[in-house]
Amino acid sequence: MADLGNILAVGILLGGIYALVSVGLNLIFGVIRVVNFAQGEFVMLGMYGTYAAYSVLHLDPYLALIVVLPALFILGAVVQRLVLAPLRTEPTMQIFATFGLLMLLENLVLAATGGTAYSVTSPVSQTSVDIFGVQVGMVRLIALAAATAVAAALGLFLQRSMLGRAIRAVAQDRSAARLMGIDVDRIYMLTFGIGAALAGLAGCLLTPIYSLSPQIGTSFVLPAFAVVVLGGLGSVLGAYVGGFIVGLTEAFAGYYLDPSLKYAVLFGVFIIVLIIRPSGLFGQIGAEEVGLRGE
Amino acid sequence: MRAPLARRLASMTAAALLSTGFARAQSPDLKIGVVNPYSGPMAMYGDEMTRGYDIAVEQANAHGGVLGRKIVVIRGSATSAQEAIAAVEQLVGRDKVDLLSGTYVTALSNAASEAALNDGKLYWETNALSKDLTDRGLPNFARSGPDSTAFARRSVEGVMQLVIPKLGKQPKDVKVWIEHEDSSYGTSIATEQQRLLKEAGVQVSVGSHSAKSIDLSDSILRAKNAGPDLWLSTAYVTDHNLLLRTAREQGFKPAAMMLVGTGDTPETLEAVGKDSLNGILLVSYPRADIGPSYGPGAAAFLAAYKTKYNRDPIAPQAMSAYVGMKMLIETIAAAQSTDYEKVIAAAAKTDKPLGSYETGYGVKYDSTMQNTRALPVIAQWQDGQVHAVFPKEALAPGVTLMELARK
Repeated sequence: MADLGNILAVGILLGGIYALVSVGLNLIFGVIRVVNFAQGEFVMLGMYGTYAAYSVLHLDPYLALIVVLPALFILGAVVQRLVLAPLRTEPTMQIFATFGLLMLLENLVLAATGGTAYSVTSPVSQTSVDIFGVQVGMVRLIALAAATAVAAALGLFLQRSMLGRAIRAVAQDRSAARLMGIDVDRIYMLTFGIGAALAGLAGCLLTPIYSLSPQIGTSFVLPAFAVVVLGGLGSVLGAYVGGFIVGLTEAFAGYYLDPSLKYAVLFGVFIIVLIIRPSGLFGQIGAEEVGLRGE
Repeated sequence: MRAPLARRLASMTAAALLSTGFARAQSPDLKIGVVNPYSGPMAMYGDEMTRGYDIAVEQANAHGGVLGRKIVVIRGSATSAQEAIAAVEQLVGRDKVDLLSGTYVTALSNAASEAALNDGKLYWETNALSKDLTDRGLPNFARSGPDSTAFARRSVEGVMQLVIPKLGKQPKDVKVWIEHEDSSYGTSIATEQQRLLKEAGVQVSVGSHSAKSIDLSDSILRAKNAGPDLWLSTAYVTDHNLLLRTAREQGFKPAAMMLVGTGDTPETLEAVGKDSLNGILLVSYPRADIGPSYGPGAAAFLAAYKTKYNRDPIAPQAMSAYVGMKMLIETIAAAQSTDYEKVIAAAAKTDKPLGSYETGYGVKYDSTMQNTRALPVIAQWQDGQVHAVFPKEALAPGVTLMELARK
């Protein structure tokens, strides 16, 4: 029983990390209909931004949020305007462009750091708490809480605020939205900025867990794709729940079968879910046509 | 008067040109092509190894080079097997190198040495670890440094002679958890460790993980549940860091921990902190601060490195590369040639006892051209510093083994 409790905790905490990384990815997909391969690189940039704030400004990784979030928002908006907007009539080319962006960002960081594995420590990163006999790292607990708060806030923002409604309107029918007086290009830019800022948030919160490497973004983006496809493309709730499905699958397969088999099991489940329910658990059938849903 | 002067000048110039030409023809530079990752995630280590080569070559050139020729190191950058082949083609075709050397990564060495054989050139391996490299039996290949088997054997010697006596248990009562990353590097070392420990009657469990994994809590939980006395792990830098941080989070504190291959650099110190690292044992290339009777001249190497680069070595690979290059130059001198058949034959005849070089290495090649007298040492994290603690002769003056358990 102690094993089961431990492994459940590991899976849920890992799920929190995946949910945090995937929410932004799903938002961008839902509104702009672009599978953003560079989302993991935004997480990576968030981590290096946190490291820079930590080593230059001596900011705690959690305080680095105040610098990293706006920076990633601006970067995302600029990337959308300069790279994706000119390709708006060519969706396939947009996907290739995000892949190009992935390689560009990864290699720029590689050139700048020479491949040294940097690490950041926070007083929190050394702390763990005992919950019913299960050891839980405080950093992971914070990531889980943040993922929950972000998913709830993003859902509310999309449902209740004017800007959120405008984003949903653009996602559902961009021509009708334009006729209603919504500046569609601005919404695209803002959405991509928000998506990148969410990746930056994930980067900040995850920095105390990992040693930074320029390739770390790719390690996040592959499971994140599994998360959004399992949970449902374009659904905020789907990204959140999908995170836990992937986290728990990985943890159980890693513990009870073999750690080196966990990705094989995960992507096996991924293919089975795709066959049985192509739109994912919370996605709407034909999500690539329907786009984002706020719930 | 003018014409004879012009003629004299012309003939002097011609003579000067001819003499330099002759000088060149008589002793062209001896070019060594070096294959390593000079870009990409492992560039730091490729550069560090080459610093070792450069120091060895500079010292040799100060004494007239080898075969009466000045030695020049030419870099060929590769981050994948395909690039390694291209690098060799370029070094041989464009730069006209006489022979090749390297390598930080086994996969690069594997491809580059085969490409070198196609071009009829020697491939002198100084660092790459996997035993498979020498098992291929390539006629142009020799390895001057330790292989994965030497790392496995040294780690097991450390378990039997250092850890078990400290635990105060009989070998049959000792439980060891062998953790390894699942590529050929980690697997080859772990397989040999498992065989040797079982032979010694120790209880062994094995776990593997992918070095790219985002979460290694499952690996730590499995190890924790087995309740080992010693956790013996072979991994790369970032996964070792993640394993150690997760172990701390999960309250996994076996009586002893031993890391193989990595975990001995400032990158791990920064990630885990000196308090959590205290007492952890490391199986690694000999460092420049080993005892003078074990590695004669190590202090002089350290001084030469500091003078040239204005800081301490980043990683112990540099001194192993330095020694490998020294051995290569000596073997070329003995062979009086750079032809691979002659160099390999000369290497096979060389016999030098342990403790002949700065790293404590000697020279004695087996039938696969693996140097059997190149051995790693066991070091220990002590208050943020790494000190050699095994074998006894490797200890620097004033160094003792501290408690093995983490606080």
